[in-house]
Amino acid sequence: MVEIDAGRQRRSDFLLRFRKSRNAVIGATLVALVVFVAIFAPLLVPHDYEHVDMFKVWAPPSAEHPFGNDALGRDILSRVLVGAQVSLLVAVAVLTITLTIGVTLGMCAAYFGGWTDTIIMRTVDIIFAFPELILAILVAAMMGPGLLTVIVSLSIVWWPGIARLTRALVLQLKNELYVSAAIACGSPPAKILIRHILPNIVAPLMVRASIGVGFIIMAEATLSFLGIGVQEPRPTWGGMIRDGLQTLRTDPYLVFYASLALAITIIGFNLLGDGLRDILDPRVRDR
Amino acid sequence: MGRYALRRVAGLLPVLAVMIVLCFVAIKLVPGDPVMVLLSDQSGDVELEARLRADYGLDQPFIVQFGRYLAGLAVGDFGYSFRYANVPVSEIIGTSLAITPILALAALTLAVPTGIVFGTFAALRRNRAADIITVFLVVAGISIPNFALSAMFVYLFAIKLDLVPVAGWGSFSQAVLPVLVLAIAPMGYITRLTRTYMLEVLSQDYIRTARAKGLRNRLVIYRHALRNTLVPLLTTIGIIFGGLLSGTFVVETIFNIPGLGRLAIEGIFARDYPVTMAIVMLFTMFYALINLCVDLLYGLIDPRIRLGSDGN
Repeated sequence: MVEIDAGRQRRSDFLLRFRKSRNAVIGATLVALVVFVAIFAPLLVPHDYEHVDMFKVWAPPSAEHPFGNDALGRDILSRVLVGAQVSLLVAVAVLTITLTIGVTLGMCAAYFGGWTDTIIMRTVDIIFAFPELILAILVAAMMGPGLLTVIVSLSIVWWPGIARLTRALVLQLKNELYVSAAIACGSPPAKILIRHILPNIVAPLMVRASIGVGFIIMAEATLSFLGIGVQEPRPTWGGMIRDGLQTLRTDPYLVFYASLALAITIIGFNLLGDGLRDILDPRVRDR
Repeated sequence: MGRYALRRVAGLLPVLAVMIVLCFVAIKLVPGDPVMVLLSDQSGDVELEARLRADYGLDQPFIVQFGRYLAGLAVGDFGYSFRYANVPVSEIIGTSLAITPILALAALTLAVPTGIVFGTFAALRRNRAADIITVFLVVAGISIPNFALSAMFVYLFAIKLDLVPVAGWGSFSQAVLPVLVLAIAPMGYITRLTRTYMLEVLSQDYIRTARAKGLRNRLVIYRHALRNTLVPLLTTIGIIFGGLLSGTFVVETIFNIPGLGRLAIEGIFARDYPVTMAIVMLFTMFYALINLCVDLLYGLIDPRIRLGSDGN
């Protein structure tokens, strides 16, 4: 009974601080908007995003096409809305993969130490030796363009950061009394890590993950912009900016709206991440 | 300090070694080699192919090829291009070698002082309008991808206002936009960090002491607060530089600047992997070198770092 009350107390405390944080509220609103658009894009689009109309090539905004049309006469508004799907799909996939791998390896490195630690952390060091986006570009170049490529290459550069953070967090907790108690009781390592340690490192990992989403979406857009990411016919914001750049002088609408969508999304996630850090990290809480 | 420096350099070597092996294996794994380029007209001539392979040493065992590759690297030879027959990679890279570091250093030179000024300015006006606006601009600057920023700047400053050229390289006016675009995100990070560290330092006891003894506010800020803010800032310069190097891939492509970044991207599309790999290797070594310098400098300034138990 006491435990439930404490949990409820903590939750309402979190909500209270969340509502007081300007960053968190604005960020969450923007993120909610983007997620809504991504999920309901098929219902929201005014036109078929793949419909080619050669009579409307680079048509300026009109009542029928509020954002205008692109090089193939396709409706820009519909394509911008559908573009949210790829960005979020990549973000969710990369986060799921990197959190699973990073947390597992980071916990093993910290808990078992010795050779396990050395091998895992040296691998992390090697990946960290590359500037992150350059490594992603390299892997993407070798795999050839596509959705899977983007997810794999971004996962490769993003898991070491999670592993390093997890390791540091677990090292702090490893000598806590309740962990020693669990060991004394004969709990197997897997149970100690999952039942006793994991719940205590979730908050900082959440902060890290939410700040990471901004980076992942930006990196996905960059790969697509460079032409080594997600390909046509699937609309991506990065790809749209690439297409629009050639005719920027006469027809800036495609670049403008795709940039706007990308900016809103990344600003939203970064604000939410900053807000969550302010709320969840006790070191900066009172600042 | 000498031992600390030695330990830092020694820690770097295995990482670089593995990186070189990875790059070499990657080049070997992808299809194509210089012989295929030379043979493009006469594919099927088995005898000629065998002779060319022998000339390039491609008939040797893997480990011998790797040894030769290593020996070449030591003297700046990165092997042959897959795209242009008989042209060494070092020759292709040579002309672009100076451009990218200039671009990155110019952006850094612009970003660091302005970031420190904005950050200090915001911290001293904490939670007032100027601070809130700065903090929002920082988030926007960090969040908007450099290619979107490039497009906006080109449209506004080059096309609409006609102040600078749209693209190209060689004159000062052509360098303005790419340097500005590259500098925005680092400026944002430095502004944010300066603001955070400044707020932290301003709440310390020694600042209160300095004020209590009647020191003028300006002196408190410049002599006591700002100096202590700069030390932790130093550690982030390495990461910022890595971001700048990645940024040149995009910015050089957009602004048509004949630097290493554009060359690497062209290499990807032309399947000229030795060129791309050589550039990635150069960037990684450059990045490692910058991080090493930062670490050593930090160790020099803050003895706690070099005297730490494991140097991490």
